[in-house]
Amino acid sequence: MSAGLSPELKKKIGHIVARYPKKEAAILPVLHLIQREKGAIAKEEELWIAGLLEIKPIKVREVVTFYTMFHQRPVGRYHIQVCSNLTCSLMGGEKVVDHLQKRLGIKIGETTADQRFTLSEVECLGACEQAPCMMINFDYYGKLDPEKIDSLLEGLD
Amino acid sequence: MVEGALIKIVIDDRPVEVRPGTTILRAAQQAGLSIPHFCFHPAFAPAGSCRICLVEIEGLPKLELACATMVRDGMKISTQSPRVREARRGVLEFLLADHPLDCPICDKAGECKLQDYYQEYGLFESAFREAKEKRAKIIPIGKRLILDRERCVLCTRCVRFLSEVTKTQELGVFQRGIHSEISTYEELPVKNNYSGNLVDLCPVGAITDKEFRFKTRTWFLVQKETICPLCSLGCNIYVDYHPGFTRVPGTAKLYRVRPRENPDVNGSWICDYGRYGYQALAKDRAEKVLWKKEGRDTIMSWEKILILLAEKLRTRHLAKNISGIAVIANAWLTNEELFLFKKIFKDDLGLTKIFFADPKPGPEDGFLLQAERSPNVRGTKEIGLQMSPARLEALSQNTDILIIFGTFLSDLDTPASLKSALGKIGTKVLIASQVNGLEDDIDFILPAAGMLEKSGSLTNKNGKIQFFSAVRPSCGDSRPEWSILVDLAKELRINSGYYSLMTQPDVIFKAIGKEIAFFR
Amino acid sequence: MAEKILTKHFDLANLYEIETYLEQGGYRAVTKALKQMTPAGIMDEVKKASLRGRGGAGFPAGLKWSFVPQTSDKPKYLCVNADEGEPGTFKDRYILTHNPHLLIEGTIIASFSVGIHSAYVYIRGEYETVAQRLEHAVVEAAEKGYLGKNILGSGFDLDIFVHRGAGAYICGEETALLESLEGRRAYPRLKPPFPASVGLFQCPTVINNVETLANIPAIIEKGASWFLDKGLPRDGGTRIFGVSGPVVRPGIYELPVGTSLREIIEIHAGGLKPGKKLKAVIPGGMSAPILKPDEIDIKMDFDSLAGIGSMLGSAAIIVIDEDTPILDVLEKVAKFYAHESCGQCTPCRIGTSWIYKIVKRMSSGQGEKGDAEELVRLASNIKGKTLCPMGDAASMPVLSLAQKFKNDLESCLKEG
Repeated sequence: MSAGLSPELKKKIGHIVARYPKKEAAILPVLHLIQREKGAIAKEEELWIAGLLEIKPIKVREVVTFYTMFHQRPVGRYHIQVCSNLTCSLMGGEKVVDHLQKRLGIKIGETTADQRFTLSEVECLGACEQAPCMMINFDYYGKLDPEKIDSLLEGLD
Repeated sequence: MVEGALIKIVIDDRPVEVRPGTTILRAAQQAGLSIPHFCFHPAFAPAGSCRICLVEIEGLPKLELACATMVRDGMKISTQSPRVREARRGVLEFLLADHPLDCPICDKAGECKLQDYYQEYGLFESAFREAKEKRAKIIPIGKRLILDRERCVLCTRCVRFLSEVTKTQELGVFQRGIHSEISTYEELPVKNNYSGNLVDLCPVGAITDKEFRFKTRTWFLVQKETICPLCSLGCNIYVDYHPGFTRVPGTAKLYRVRPRENPDVNGSWICDYGRYGYQALAKDRAEKVLWKKEGRDTIMSWEKILILLAEKLRTRHLAKNISGIAVIANAWLTNEELFLFKKIFKDDLGLTKIFFADPKPGPEDGFLLQAERSPNVRGTKEIGLQMSPARLEALSQNTDILIIFGTFLSDLDTPASLKSALGKIGTKVLIASQVNGLEDDIDFILPAAGMLEKSGSLTNKNGKIQFFSAVRPSCGDSRPEWSILVDLAKELRINSGYYSLMTQPDVIFKAIGKEIAFFR
Repeated sequence: MAEKILTKHFDLANLYEIETYLEQGGYRAVTKALKQMTPAGIMDEVKKASLRGRGGAGFPAGLKWSFVPQTSDKPKYLCVNADEGEPGTFKDRYILTHNPHLLIEGTIIASFSVGIHSAYVYIRGEYETVAQRLEHAVVEAAEKGYLGKNILGSGFDLDIFVHRGAGAYICGEETALLESLEGRRAYPRLKPPFPASVGLFQCPTVINNVETLANIPAIIEKGASWFLDKGLPRDGGTRIFGVSGPVVRPGIYELPVGTSLREIIEIHAGGLKPGKKLKAVIPGGMSAPILKPDEIDIKMDFDSLAGIGSMLGSAAIIVIDEDTPILDVLEKVAKFYAHESCGQCTPCRIGTSWIYKIVKRMSSGQGEKGDAEELVRLASNIKGKTLCPMGDAASMPVLSLAQKFKNDLESCLKEG
């Protein structure tokens, strides 16, 4: 069972596993890599990782469901994660959410019909000096207002 | 401090002396004090997650866990101070805020730790006004296991049992925070020979036994101690027996079997083979002395049958014509019974055709379950009997009187071959607690008490002699095998004076000790 | 302020590249440590410098290192805590983004002192771009011979591995970090045993915050006294204070330990934005009890803040203005801890959720008389009773908000 991973990725995973004295320790970096390639960690991926790290599949799912950055179902091409914590809220974070919900026509937790955007609320992103912030995939954007948000979204393909 | 010297501490103004390396919880137990705990179990490393065992230690600013803190010389501990009471109440309040009001329909009622601790340390009115979390409630997680996530207090004993003891890891914890839940992986059930222990292990009614659900109430059950006979380890067990409602006949029932802790034999666990197999021993019992004559069943009295049987044997004994008599025993008989058996059939009557019929050996599971599926194989050896397997076809050639103890003949051969072999033997006597499909092939059925209704001792594979007594009153006319043997022996009049003294199993046991050093 | 330690040369755009770092005197401290000093000597110097942990707990770094047994038949490990999840905190992101080599250099010296040959940087998963920059810096350092085998011919080997987290605040707690690094759910461990004896993979382990380690090169190069003098007698050096909220200049400010909170807000961060009036300040990340405007003359050091019932924590200053209802602040606080509770122990798992439910009810206009007292009661049942310090982190802000801003909260409740 190959879980449909590219040979390059499997090779990279092999290098990563080698950095730890116990294979299971590689699970977080491996999950990140696989999620990036396959979009989500579903049963097929869980079984493959379990085989690779010599642990039971249940241990993989225990980890996947604990950490918020892993999902069991794919998200949109652009995962917009808006900070909903204190400073961003003080600096207008709710307005950012409102604007995004209106612009994209979806609510928090939903994905647009064309699978381009998923909108989520997350906790503090560690960029409070630029509040209000959001993260699109892994890119941070701060000091947001409706105009900035609109131009950002337009710039995405 | 001297190496290995005892540590002196004070718990609730009681001085206690304990060995180094003892936890406060264990030290308190030693002093006769109980400290509440959910997640702690003596068979696992402490988890420290339920937080209800917090106690106050003089000189330390925070409350500390009794389950995980080792005692130190001079420690002064309070398990009842206002701070401790408040902390305990706090934990109870949190657990109850996230717990369904299921007591009226929950099987754990009466033996539930949450109930017990609330009774002892709580008794407050709920201040929780918010909406309770709704979770799935009837999740089959094994052949006989049902999980209720609303009742679960996330003590993780079940997860740790399957991780540390059976090492099969069928259960895990998914999600986090208040959404944490115990789960199997997809539909993969809990499937190992120790799954039944999860029901006992769960401190609340989150894991229940499918067959026990809604059947009775724990406070109706009488708890008896006995030994599991389904293999040669002799795990110690509790049997929970409902004595029945006097005005409703037929309601007496054996409901369940639970482990009884014994560090020398089975630790804290029993296997499913024994746990669920034991209950089968209570079913389809032989209750009457039956003489199957000319296709009809005639009920006889014990006096009559024993006189009849003794007469047959005595006649042949006096005529020195015993070669046609064969007896089949089994290693489920107690030490006392095997002793009597040997004395009567081998020593007194001089029979040579002495055989054994036992359940077929099965796979051992690397933990408790042994390959030998009889409890007294070692006892048989020490009594001095050889377990030659019974071969009925060969026996049937030259046997006209066959006395069979136990229900294991059916394990020996196909029903057809058994029937044919037995058909060739003139007189067949079965002394057993269950008949097991042999009804049509036996002439005399003498109902025996079996493991449930007699007392005696068994010797486990490691040579440990364990005593047990009846878990319930005799079924019908059945009598313990030792009692049948004693009365038969008295009627045989070969050595009746000796047998008249064998009034109880403990008397018999002493007699064994007089002759065989092992049993002294 | 006189010479900066951590943010020195931050104005140089390419400081993260090793050539630039070397030009500015980078890796001189490593050279001095490995060639002229002994492991014990380094540890002494760090102890004398009174460098206290910069992650939040403030435990003296040199002392922590000394708990690791000198000889061990097991390998020893260093975990760099770059999880930076405390709301309001972003200083480590700055260090890692602008000067990753400073962290690497500190890591090398610390490892040399304790006898560690493998160091893992546990960096929060959201900091992906930062992690890539750090990984690049690690490669550069190895290429120049500062990592790998026989560093600078000293016979000392060290590898640094970058390990990403995946969205769990609890991983900032050191034993939860270890569990996460080992590939499991981040459930904090019971202590004792402490990581110095039983840590990563059951081996002796040191866990230090990014900023803590980033101070090491300066201590080695300039000496403990120089470092100590910048701060206070038991709390040496500088801190990177983060300021966020409706101030004129939110951002990082490296200042001596013991600088007054008022100075940081009003002078360095430019004070509240025009038209905004100060209502409250959280001085050390969300877990620190909140301060009222009459308390901001306090000195920003561990002991002073502890003295008024708050804490320096991660030195993340969140400024709250009068236009923000306290109930909103309380709601964000309650939501955060309920989301981030790992769920292992009863009081935090259920208590944070219960508190959040009450606060949500209050926010929706259904607050009732007695709710504020109930919040205090529940928070008190969590504080000091949990398996890890997150219980205290979850309860202290609720307690301080409910106690200091009682009137604000009561005015939100329904009549009767």
